[in-house]
Amino acid sequence: MTNKILRQSRANRFIHWGTAISILLLIISGMGQLPVYKRYNVTSLPGGEWLGSFFEMLDLHYLAAGILIFVVSFHLVYHALRREYDIFPKKGDVKESYLIIKAMVTGGKEPPADKYLAEQRLAYAFIGVNVVVLILTGIVKVLKNFAGSQLPETLIALSTHLHNLATVLLIFGIGAHLLAFIVKANRPLIRGMFYGTVDEDYAKERHSLWYNRGRGKNITKTKDKEVKQKNDSQNKSLDA
Amino acid sequence: MSDKISRRSFFQRSAAAGALSFLAASGLNKPVYGMTNSQEIGTVIDLSKCDGCKNLETPLCVSACRQKNQTKFPEPITPIKDYWPQPKHEDWSDKRGLTTRLTPYNWNYVEHVQVDHNGETEDVYVMRHCMHCDNATCQKVCPFSAINKDAHGAVSINENICFGGAKCRDVCPWGIPQRQAGVGLYLDIAPTLAGGGVMYKCDLCRDLLAKGEKPRCESACPKNAITSGPKEEMKDYAKARAQEIGGYIYGDVQNGGTSTFYVSKVPFSKINEAIAATKKAQDDEKPGRPLMPADVENYLDTEKGMAIGVLTAPIAGAALAAVTVYKTLKGEKVDD
Ligand code: HEM
Ligand code: HEM
Ligand code: SF4
Ligand code: SF4
Ligand code: SF4
Repeated sequence: MTNKILRQSRANRFIHWGTAISILLLIISGMGQLPVYKRYNVTSLPGGEWLGSFFEMLDLHYLAAGILIFVVSFHLVYHALRREYDIFPKKGDVKESYLIIKAMVTGGKEPPADKYLAEQRLAYAFIGVNVVVLILTGIVKVLKNFAGSQLPETLIALSTHLHNLATVLLIFGIGAHLLAFIVKANRPLIRGMFYGTVDEDYAKERHSLWYNRGRGKNITKTKDKEVKQKNDSQNKSLDA
Repeated sequence: MSDKISRRSFFQRSAAAGALSFLAASGLNKPVYGMTNSQEIGTVIDLSKCDGCKNLETPLCVSACRQKNQTKFPEPITPIKDYWPQPKHEDWSDKRGLTTRLTPYNWNYVEHVQVDHNGETEDVYVMRHCMHCDNATCQKVCPFSAINKDAHGAVSINENICFGGAKCRDVCPWGIPQRQAGVGLYLDIAPTLAGGGVMYKCDLCRDLLAKGEKPRCESACPKNAITSGPKEEMKDYAKARAQEIGGYIYGDVQNGGTSTFYVSKVPFSKINEAIAATKKAQDDEKPGRPLMPADVENYLDTEKGMAIGVLTAPIAGAALAAVTVYKTLKGEKVDD
């Protein structure tokens, strides 16, 4: 048995599964805001009848939206207070993710990675932007439903169309996220999202910058300078 | 005759109606509510005055509406496809002449029922059209924002945006909007797979309201059974009329309030039962002949608690995060 090291804290796992489950429910109930389940006979599947009720679907959409917004604001405040920005895209991520994918395809050597691979950071940004758009436009949609509220027609129309567009993009994003686990090299991360830990060897090899930094951190707290050095050397290795 | 007097006496009783009583006395076809552009309009439909134009083949309010709106009626492109995978589509284009229910080609109609009341059998004629609800369910939940409520409170469907999914009809307590397949935006996108046409209904003659004129059905009515005006005053007028005839009002509270106020001598519960019974006897289950149930809750209002929950979620999430971080900093647990 190889050693395991902590990759995803309990807070992170709470955030990940909180968003994953609420977004799944939001997609199901969001589709339920459209006249589709009856037409495409989904309601005639066993147990599918309630999907045909617009208002039950709206209840579910509200409930799941509450969970999502709760988790997302937890996520933003939590990491902002702890100054953890590992997952934010960095300069050069587009190029770096290209190199990683090339290495995966050709079997060559990947550039050294931090906690998240460049494409993970980009995926986060893509999913994150869409989720934020969905939340903001969703809030407008909630406000419009209050009795007595008549928001401007253009605001309602704009948020409806953005909400619908972001839904489509998010479904693509999540599809790509799940498809990424077809690639064998990504699979050891899955146990991290369930149990928190990943194989030490895997971390050392695939996320060397993060791994080395983490070892330093075990002794003292993270030294900003060291991280900076690592980043610099990472950039150098890319330039080379 | 007596109608005019009762209306005038009402306005004289009403405190704020100085100007209105003048207008009422000087004839009702003048624009009463050109006064402000953004005033909500209410309509009183007085069943004690309507005789269903029973000597005519088509009631005048209905033929007037049809005539006014004929240019807006759908011209479907044939052959019309079914709503895959359902083996059907909604096509009223071969029944354009139908005047006895709501269709895409007929935005109001008169329901005739007989009701026993106080030992007598009364003929009741009910002109039906969209109620123009205060918190219009159809408008609020349209997933394409194709429905608008203007400053006069007129709820109308934009035929260029409507995709014809008929959600508005499903969520409308009276199933008012009616669908025609073979027209509209969906034809340009995926006509076999998605969409169903365009929904049509009464738009309260919003173009006429904008010009300060009366809805066409109102102007056409020989009995002055339809009266529109500033909404609050119309509500008061309906109340006064109901009191006067010892009758009832429908539409003031249903679906959280609407801008259509029916007044009747006969209880609406009996009218409702009679409509249901007539439909049953005729085996009529298609949409377009709404009932008049007394209890109509506005679902969006009952949902308010959930909505408030959604709006407070960010504060709760942020607070939990702050507490968690604070605990970690105090060294209770060092987690990555
Ligand atoms: C059942 C399905 C899912 C599984 C098994 C899964 C698994 C994972 C794993 C293993 C990671 C972390 C990788 C790491 O430690 O670096 C991750 C990250 C992430 N997941 Fe999921 N996930 C699922 C569904 C979702 C859903 C529905 C969303 C919703 C939007 C989502 C959003 C994210 C985001 C934003 C990240 C961080 C960025 C990234 O690493 O790509 N996941 N997921
Ligand atoms: C991942 C997140 C989400 C997805 C995939 C999603 C998807 C959808 C879809 C497909 C619709 C139906 C189309 C429409 O009416 O525009 C919808 C409607 C709606 N969504 Fe979302 N949504 C999400 C998040 C949210 C959030 C966070 C909120 C609230 C803050 C929200 C509030 C609403 C409301 C109020 C409606 C309209 C229902 C109505 O017509 O009243 N959604 N959503
Ligand atoms: S409302 Fe007026 S026009 Fe319409 S049927 Fe009754 S009497 Fe005739
Ligand atoms: S009566 Fe029905 S169609 Fe008319 S505004 Fe109300 S909900 Fe919409
Ligand atoms: S208000 Fe206008 S659109 Fe509505 S029923 Fe009367 S005439 Fe027809």
